Amino acid sequence: MTRIAITGIGIVAPGAVGSGEFAALLESGRSAVLPVDRFDTSGLRAHTAALVRDFKARDFIGATKLRRMNTLSRYALSAARLALNDRGGELPPEAGVALGTAFGPVQTSVDYMQEYVEKGAALAPPQLFAESVANAPGSHMAIELGLRGFNVTVTQRESSALAALMYAASQTAKGAVPAALVGGVEEVNEMVFSVLDRIGALAHANGAVDECARPFDRARNGMLIGEGSAILVIESAPVRAPYAYVSGFGIARDVSATTSDWGEGQAAVAAAMKAAIDDAELSPPDIDAVYASANATVRGDRLEYRAIQSVFDRVPPVVATKGYFGEYAAGGALHLATAMIAIQTQTLPVTTGFRSGEDEMRFAPTKELYRGELRHILVNSVSAGGGIVCAVLSREAA
Amino acid sequence: MRKPDLNIRVAVTGAGIICSIGSNKAEVWRSICESRAAIRKLTRFRGESFPTDLAAEVDGDIQKMLPIGKRAARRLSRSDLLAVIAAAEAIGQANENAGQPLPLGRAIVSSGTSTGGLLEGEDYYFTRLVRGRLRAPASRVLQQPTSGPSDAVARVFNAGGGVVSNATACASAGAAVGMAADYLRSRHADVAIAGGSDALCRLTYSGFNVLQAVDPQPCSPFGAERKGINLGEGAAYLVLERWDDARARGARILAELCGYGATCDAHHPTAPHEDGRGAEAAMRAAIREASVGPAEINYVNAHGTGTLLNDSAETRAIVAAVGTAVPVSSSKSYFGHTLGASGAVEAVITVLALMNQLAPPTLRLERAAEDCTLDYIPHTPRPLAMTHALSNTFGFGGSNVSLLFRRA
Repeated sequence: MTRIAITGIGIVAPGAVGSGEFAALLESGRSAVLPVDRFDTSGLRAHTAALVRDFKARDFIGATKLRRMNTLSRYALSAARLALNDRGGELPPEAGVALGTAFGPVQTSVDYMQEYVEKGAALAPPQLFAESVANAPGSHMAIELGLRGFNVTVTQRESSALAALMYAASQTAKGAVPAALVGGVEEVNEMVFSVLDRIGALAHANGAVDECARPFDRARNGMLIGEGSAILVIESAPVRAPYAYVSGFGIARDVSATTSDWGEGQAAVAAAMKAAIDDAELSPPDIDAVYASANATVRGDRLEYRAIQSVFDRVPPVVATKGYFGEYAAGGALHLATAMIAIQTQTLPVTTGFRSGEDEMRFAPTKELYRGELRHILVNSVSAGGGIVCAVLSREAA
Repeated sequence: MRKPDLNIRVAVTGAGIICSIGSNKAEVWRSICESRAAIRKLTRFRGESFPTDLAAEVDGDIQKMLPIGKRAARRLSRSDLLAVIAAAEAIGQANENAGQPLPLGRAIVSSGTSTGGLLEGEDYYFTRLVRGRLRAPASRVLQQPTSGPSDAVARVFNAGGGVVSNATACASAGAAVGMAADYLRSRHADVAIAGGSDALCRLTYSGFNVLQAVDPQPCSPFGAERKGINLGEGAAYLVLERWDDARARGARILAELCGYGATCDAHHPTAPHEDGRGAEAAMRAAIREASVGPAEINYVNAHGTGTLLNDSAETRAIVAAVGTAVPVSSSKSYFGHTLGASGAVEAVITVLALMNQLAPPTLRLERAAEDCTLDYIPHTPRPLAMTHALSNTFGFGGSNVSLLFRRA
C-alpha cells in the first residue's frame, strides 16, 4: 500500500492568511464572502465574492521580484513559503511543483489586451506577456524555491487542484521526485465574475432570498466565487510527523454534462468516488466523512447528493465548504486544505449556507461542529463539463 | 494508492495531427518527405501592425474537416476544433481493423494547451469595449478556459474515463501525454486520448514579438543566422493503451511510449538555463524510465525553436544526456512553433519517423551555429535505423518534458 505524506500547509485565503487563521475561520462557521469592492458590479445580478484581504505580498516576496509578478504568482509563492515554513525547512532541489487553476491568468491577459489596444501590438509590455501563461505562478515557485522536479499547471475547472494533486502524488509514488509542492491558485476579477454572472452561474438575490452560496440547500440558485492559494507539501519519506496521507484517487467523466453545466450521470460520480475508495484499499464504510464538491448550483449539487446516496448505505457526515470561500477558491485547493485540516484537528466544520435540502436528499450536511474519529475522508470535485476527480485522505500511514 | 507500474508497457495505437503542413498524417508526412515547409504571411488579425508578418497557420476551412455537425461545433473555439479534428483521426486509426473498438467509456482525455480559446476571448474583449459587458454575448467565451480542448474532445467522443488539461505553456502537451501514460500504468484509466491543441491568437503573436523572439524570416533552428521562432498553430493526439489490452483488442501498435521525464530549470520566467540543465535532466529521466542507455537513442526530435538561447542550451543538454553522435532535427522548421500543442504535434512526427525509419530534416540549415555542434540532418529526410527516438518539448517557466518512443 502506498500513501504519500502531507507535511506542510500554506494558505492565502479569503478571510485568513496562514493555516491557523484559516482553521479558526472554519471553526467560527463564518463565511468569508463579502460585498465586492475590487471592481464595479453594477448592472450584474451578483455583488459578493470571497476575496483575499489583509494580505501583504511584500511580507513574503522582495520588492523587485514583486513588481514582476501578477496576483496569482504573489498568492502562490506566498502560500508556498508558508507551507515550507510550516514543514520546517526547504525541499530538496529534485522536488516538483503541481498547481491547479480554473481560470488562471485571465486578468493578466485583459491587462495585456488593454495595452495592446492603447499602445499597439508591437509595444505591449513583455513583462505582462511573460506573466500571461497559466504556469507563471508555478514557475516563480520553482525559481524562488529552487525546485527542479516536474513543474505542471493543471486547468480542469472545478477539479483543477485535485487533478494536480493526483498527478503530483502519482509522480511521487513512482519515485520521479522525492517531494512536491501541490495545490492551486485563483484570482477573482471583473472579467470572470461578470461572464459567470451573465451566463447565470452566480448566486443572486431573488425576492425574499438574499445573495448567498447555499450548497445542497433547496433554495440554492448558483455559486459564489473565491480566490487565493493553498499549497501542501507532499513527500514520500516525511521529515516530520505528517498531518495526513494521500491514499487514493478516482477519476471519471459524466458524459451527459453540457459545456457549461453539470449533467445527470450520477453513476459516473459514484464510480469516481468508489474508485478513489478502492484505490485507497478501503470500502465505503471506512469513510468517516465526505467533503462534497457542492457549490450551490442547482444541477451540480443534485448530481452529487444522488451519487453520495448511491455509494453509501449509511451516509457518513458530509461537509460542503463552498459557502465559506466560494467555488474555485485557490483553484479548488482550499476545499482540499479544509479536508486535510479536518484530519489534523479531528473536527468537521459546519456547512455554512445550508438550511434544508430537497425532499429526495436523504442526508443533511453538517449543521454543527462535529468531533469524532476521522480516519479517512473522501474529497470530491465534480466539474461543469463532466470532469470528476475524487481523492481519499487518511490519518495513518497504513 | 496504486502507483504507475513501469513494467506495464504503453502502446500507441492511434495518431492524429493537423498543422500548417497538412491536416492529417498522410498530408503531413508527404510534406516532411518532400521537405515542404508552410510558413507564410499571416492572414489572421488583418490590419494590426506586428513587427513581423509570418505564421504557420492551418490552411483551409476547418469546419469542413470536422467529424461533427455544425450544431455540435457551435460553441467550440478554434483550438477545440483543431483538437477534435486531430483526435478523430487518432481514434479512427485505433479502431481501424481492430477486433474490438476502443472502450471510450473508460477513456481519459488529457490535453495540453497554452492559450485554449483565447482567440475567442480576445474577440469577446473587443466586443465588450464597443458594446459594454451587459450587451456583449457572454456565451461566446464559455470555451475560453484552457480546459476547452479536453472538454471538447471528451464530449464529442463520449469519453467517460475522465478529463484533464495541462496549461504548462509550450511544455503543455508533452506533460499531458506523459501524465496520461502514467494513469494507464496505475490503472486509473484504461485508454488515453492524449495530446494538445493551440490556435494562434493576438496575445501570443504580439507577445513573442515584443519579447523579440520571432524570426522575421522562416526560422532556421540551430543555424548560424537564426533569429527566433515562427508562430504556428495545430493539434495532435495519440491514443494510448496498455500493451496487452491493445493486443487483446487486435489493434495495430504503432510504437511504444517507453519513457517520460519532466523537470524544471528553476532559472528564469522565459529564458532557458544556458547549460540546458533541466532539459538534460528530463532526457535522462525519460531514458532511465525506459531502462535503456544513452547509446541506444537513435534520433532526437528536438524542441529546436530557432531562438539563440534554446538551440545552444538544448544542444548542450543533448550532448550531456545522449552524446555527440545522435542525429537531431527540428520539425519546427516545417510548421513553426505550435506552442502548447508542440509536445503532441512533434510526438506524432517522432512516431511517424520510427514507423517509416526515416528521420525528418531541419530545413534551411545552411550553416550550423558554432555552439550547435551536432548532426542536425539538414535539408532532406534521412533513412535511419531507429529503435528509440526522443521527443523534446520545453516551455516558458523552464518546464521541460522529454518523451521516449520505441519502434513497435
